[in-house]
Amino acid sequence: MNAVELAGVTKTFGTLTAVKALDLKVPEGRVYGFIGPNGSGKTTTLRMIMNIYYPDSGEIKIFNEKLQGAVSDRIGYMPEERGLYKKMKVGELLIFYGGLKNGKNLSKEVDEWLERFDLMEWKNKKIETLSKGMSQKVQFIATVISQPELIILDEPFSGLDPVNMDIIRETILELQKEGRTVIFSTHDMNVAERMCDYIFMIYKGEKVLDDTLEAIQDRYGDDTIRLRLANAHVNLTGINGITKVNNFGHLQEIRIAEQADPQKILRTILGMTAVKSFEIAKPSLHDIFVRIAGPETMEVNHA
Amino acid sequence: MHKVWRIAVRDYLAAVKTKGFIIGLAVVPVIMSGSVLAMILLKDQVDTRGKKIAVIDHTGIVAEAIVDAARERNEKEVYEENTGDKIKPEYIIEIVNMDQANPDQQKLELSDQVRRGDLHGFVEIFPEAIHPSQNWDETHIAYYAKNAALDDIRRWLISPINVRLRSERLARLGIAETDEEELFAWLSVEGRNLIERDTKTGDVQDAQKSEEWHAVVVPIIMLMLMFILILMGASPLLNAVMEEKLQRIAEVLLGSIQPFQLMLGKLIGGIMVTLTGASVYILAGVFAVMQLGIYQIVPMYIIPWFFIYLILAVFMLGSIFAALGSAASDVKDAQSMTFPAMIPVLIPMFILTPVLKEPLSDFSTWMSLVPLFTPMLMMVRMGTPQGIPMWQPWVGLVGVILFTILSVWASGRIFRVGILLQGSTPKLSRIIKWIIKG
Repeated sequence: MNAVELAGVTKTFGTLTAVKALDLKVPEGRVYGFIGPNGSGKTTTLRMIMNIYYPDSGEIKIFNEKLQGAVSDRIGYMPEERGLYKKMKVGELLIFYGGLKNGKNLSKEVDEWLERFDLMEWKNKKIETLSKGMSQKVQFIATVISQPELIILDEPFSGLDPVNMDIIRETILELQKEGRTVIFSTHDMNVAERMCDYIFMIYKGEKVLDDTLEAIQDRYGDDTIRLRLANAHVNLTGINGITKVNNFGHLQEIRIAEQADPQKILRTILGMTAVKSFEIAKPSLHDIFVRIAGPETMEVNHA
Repeated sequence: MHKVWRIAVRDYLAAVKTKGFIIGLAVVPVIMSGSVLAMILLKDQVDTRGKKIAVIDHTGIVAEAIVDAARERNEKEVYEENTGDKIKPEYIIEIVNMDQANPDQQKLELSDQVRRGDLHGFVEIFPEAIHPSQNWDETHIAYYAKNAALDDIRRWLISPINVRLRSERLARLGIAETDEEELFAWLSVEGRNLIERDTKTGDVQDAQKSEEWHAVVVPIIMLMLMFILILMGASPLLNAVMEEKLQRIAEVLLGSIQPFQLMLGKLIGGIMVTLTGASVYILAGVFAVMQLGIYQIVPMYIIPWFFIYLILAVFMLGSIFAALGSAASDVKDAQSMTFPAMIPVLIPMFILTPVLKEPLSDFSTWMSLVPLFTPMLMMVRMGTPQGIPMWQPWVGLVGVILFTILSVWASGRIFRVGILLQGSTPKLSRIIKWIIKG
């Protein structure tokens, strides 16, 4: 069964079409990553799934039911901007949010989650005394405290340090193991690559990617070479057969033309500097994202 | 419905658990009656230094009377009888002989003495003061001082001067001094309630004395209580909703609850806050009335009406405050919206006097039937000793219920859109569009 099903969903704000005829099926028990540039329609889509925004046309089903009433209790939602009552105590706030979703055994759940996130000593402290990272964790607990079957997280990793990021990441994967469906939006392509069973990309309100990472990468072929060079400052852009160079400093990622011979390109580079590593690879999600939504596309679109 | 209840309980506890609420509960009535209280407390805060007043008496018969009256006052009123504390200034009267040759120069010199502080002021009684109907230039009395218009001495002088002049007039008419008291006895007209027949015994009851303070105290207290309690429950919704919106709490809540339910929960929370305050004030009021033994001046039948109107007023005005809060984008916006939102509770305060004087006039009746003003004005009118026809509170109630449904519905539509809207505050025309088109 699909946890979420969108069919021909469109949402406009005045003259702006935020989401256009969107179809989407999120299978149960999977981790689904929403990517897309700022303002592409990710949050609008998530808000429509949450029934916060009503679509102008199209249909949304959650667990095969029309979105209304009790079905919203089966969804946990963490919006992009965190919203916690500053004057409430951590424990009281979690019970309040859990209660709004008709959560069961909330006191026990609160203790377990606070223990798990190392926040037990903050249970009776007011939210305003927490650090930003701690607030983020509390917001995450508030989302999952009612044990929802579908968890929707809008930018769950933004602003988190690596330690807290790992904690949230591991927790999401554990929730998946328990059979929950997780949809999250992110700007971090590495996170999306490592965590998501499916990746969905929306661009200017329209779906441009919706598949497993492997299938997406297959579609873009083996046109990427990752290199580590002894001299990182060598200019690779003039080499015949190279269409794009991404220089990350210690790592160079080049895209080659369709008919180009990677071995020949390697030989040319070897003539310029020593090569520490050379890997013919599928394009990274980052690269695919930039190919779709980067300046090149903009130029093509404007041309 | 239990989600609505959870929102209500959270909001209620968040409001009443603060020190501000408890302090406010005690302080607000004090502030409301603060000016009256301050006047009572500070009325004895007077400058007790002796005040020297010069008298230029062109009649030649009044100055001595002022001296005598001042002496009598200094003996009786300046010192507190029990403690012996000085509580008022003595009036020291100095009779100045008139300078016939240069009267203006004399008054200038006296004025200079006042400026230097040697003299507090001086009074000039013109020669024909005994015949006041004649030429004004010759008959009036003038008091010169730094703050002559508000000076207590000016008011005090009126009595001894007039009493003396009146005696002189009577003497000239040949009327004995002993007849004077009866001749000038002044009777007031006593207000009485209407005569009623006792429903149990059938006897005609004596009409109760209708005192002025009885007539105004209940309506004014009802109005003030309604005002305080509406502000306590309804107006905080504007800021509360705006903060939830700006802190993005609203979006989290809307993931669990419909916008209308959220607003409803907040309104119920506001009503619970109001009822808490109302219970405290009404209980305290009933206790005070019993202790003072003045329960007969309070028409107890209006207390249930008070609660019904109060609940509806908080619903009606609270929904407007919540809608405006949802449309506001920053604190400045919220502040500028507060005043227009307060108008429904301010207008009844402004028109209190005419309504109180003539609660049955067309003006009072129609104004009290305007739903936004009904809760406050109907309570004022019902609190007056004569009361109002019983159909009026019922008609008012129907109007308030209908208007409350309308305002909650319209506010719900504004709330639904406004609560998620970030950025600039929408114009009024756009808000109206939200109401019409949803």
